[in-house]
Amino acid sequence: MSDTTQILADNFPGGSMASRPVHFIWMLDCSGSMGVNGKIGQLNFAIREAIPEMQQAAQSNPAASLLVRAITFASGASWHVSDPTPVDQFSWEDVHIYGGTDMGAAFKLAAGALQTPPMPQRALPPVLALASDGQPTDDWRAGLRAIDGTPWGKRAVRVAVAIGDDADKSMLKEFLGNPELEPLQAKNPRQLAAAIRWMSTAVVKDASTPKVDDGSRATTTPIDVPSMTKGEDDIW
Amino acid sequence: MTEPGTVTERDPAAALVTSAPWTLISGAVKGVAKKYSQDRSALLPVAGGRAVVLAVADGHGSAAHFRSDLGARWAVEEFTACARAFAYEVVRVGGDAARWTGLREEARRLPQQVGHRWHERALLHDCNAPAHGPAVPRRTAGEREGPRDLAAYGSTLIGAVLTEHMVFCWQLGDGDFVLVDDAGTPHTPLSTGPDMGDETDSLCEPEPWRKTRSYWRPFTGGPPPCVLLSTDGLSKSFTDDQGFLDFATGVRGRAAEQGVAAVQAQLPDWLARAATFSGDDTTLVGAIAASAQHSDDS
Repeated sequence: MSDTTQILADNFPGGSMASRPVHFIWMLDCSGSMGVNGKIGQLNFAIREAIPEMQQAAQSNPAASLLVRAITFASGASWHVSDPTPVDQFSWEDVHIYGGTDMGAAFKLAAGALQTPPMPQRALPPVLALASDGQPTDDWRAGLRAIDGTPWGKRAVRVAVAIGDDADKSMLKEFLGNPELEPLQAKNPRQLAAAIRWMSTAVVKDASTPKVDDGSRATTTPIDVPSMTKGEDDIW
Repeated sequence: MTEPGTVTERDPAAALVTSAPWTLISGAVKGVAKKYSQDRSALLPVAGGRAVVLAVADGHGSAAHFRSDLGARWAVEEFTACARAFAYEVVRVGGDAARWTGLREEARRLPQQVGHRWHERALLHDCNAPAHGPAVPRRTAGEREGPRDLAAYGSTLIGAVLTEHMVFCWQLGDGDFVLVDDAGTPHTPLSTGPDMGDETDSLCEPEPWRKTRSYWRPFTGGPPPCVLLSTDGLSKSFTDDQGFLDFATGVRGRAAEQGVAAVQAQLPDWLARAATFSGDDTTLVGAIAASAQHSDDS
């Protein structure tokens, strides 16, 4: 720090300053069907591969601090990464299949994290990123109501990817909470990787940018989505 | 519409404006990674300096509000035009407490005047150059047209009229109005508590005056030493509210210790530092009373 800069810093009138946090929560389907045709393995691979780009996206906006964690759901739901982890320290441990599709339980877990406290009031809207290949096996609407009932849940940027043809796309659309938005569709490993990369980069950049909303429209506005053209290598 | 030359859109490097008993300060910086700022501000001495009009407006700036730099400009221009006439009346009434009731009634009408004038300008602009392309007529016979969507122009607005006898202030949306008293204690009478995210009320909404908060206070013991208006890019850069309030107290303290000219000289650096944390455009205008100034300023 130069002398002039130091003098200016010393003379600054006011308390401490910091960028605002952006909380990013993965919600990942670990039902038995995710074990078919290697979906769970491809999901692990895609998230792990996207981390460097996620870190880059976060670095491009120093006015936001990206904190990542993850929930898995199958027979019940649990935190896979429970602590909000600064993205530059975030690494990925593989998730594994363990039963049904209790998405409602995952929503309730996320809702608990979106209460204030533990979430601070001073933050940018959080990101909820959902990946699923099937039909929920519990009361997902109750879970969604729990998210919508939290101050940050109703302001969250929500994105979803439907893995394969059996995913409940109308339910995922309802999760998005904006009629202008559609869930992404991944029918092969390449499309899943593109969807996860998009969630980790474009969505992170959008959520990390301060933007004012006049309250007259939904807070989640469409972000340019990657093209998911039908491919000959569709296997899901 | 605005009279030519009445709005003082200040260059941050401009010389100090003195309007006894006040010296006016201002600064503005662009948000990190933004192409241009959507904030606008104005400082205007009125009635030979016996009153001051201050205003800041924060255009929303995101893609849905792509003309909000215009909206912010019109907000400060229309506020300043309306507040200028009001300021003359405040000076005329002065300390005559019997006439304060009428003054306050007039103050209550001001947000509606500003809102109407802002909407007229936005409507005219949008009719000439529709923000969402040419409108497709969908009405059937006898059906009334709904209110035009002016979201592209959305902006907040904070404005104040200040004399040695009293202050009036109006606020629509986020941002901060701070009075620092003689003891250095900051007061934020229009604060509604911490904001969540970046949601705000806006001039682009129908009848925005219904959401405008207002404040009035006569100065029984003389004017406060420091009055500051700022866009939310400043307060959101601090880890908590107290940090921002300390900033307001600190500005008043620096003015007393180092002089208002020194504060004005450093203000762009202070705001630039704040903008690196909030990421947002950051603008501040203020009035420092002579009693709070370092002797070199007087």
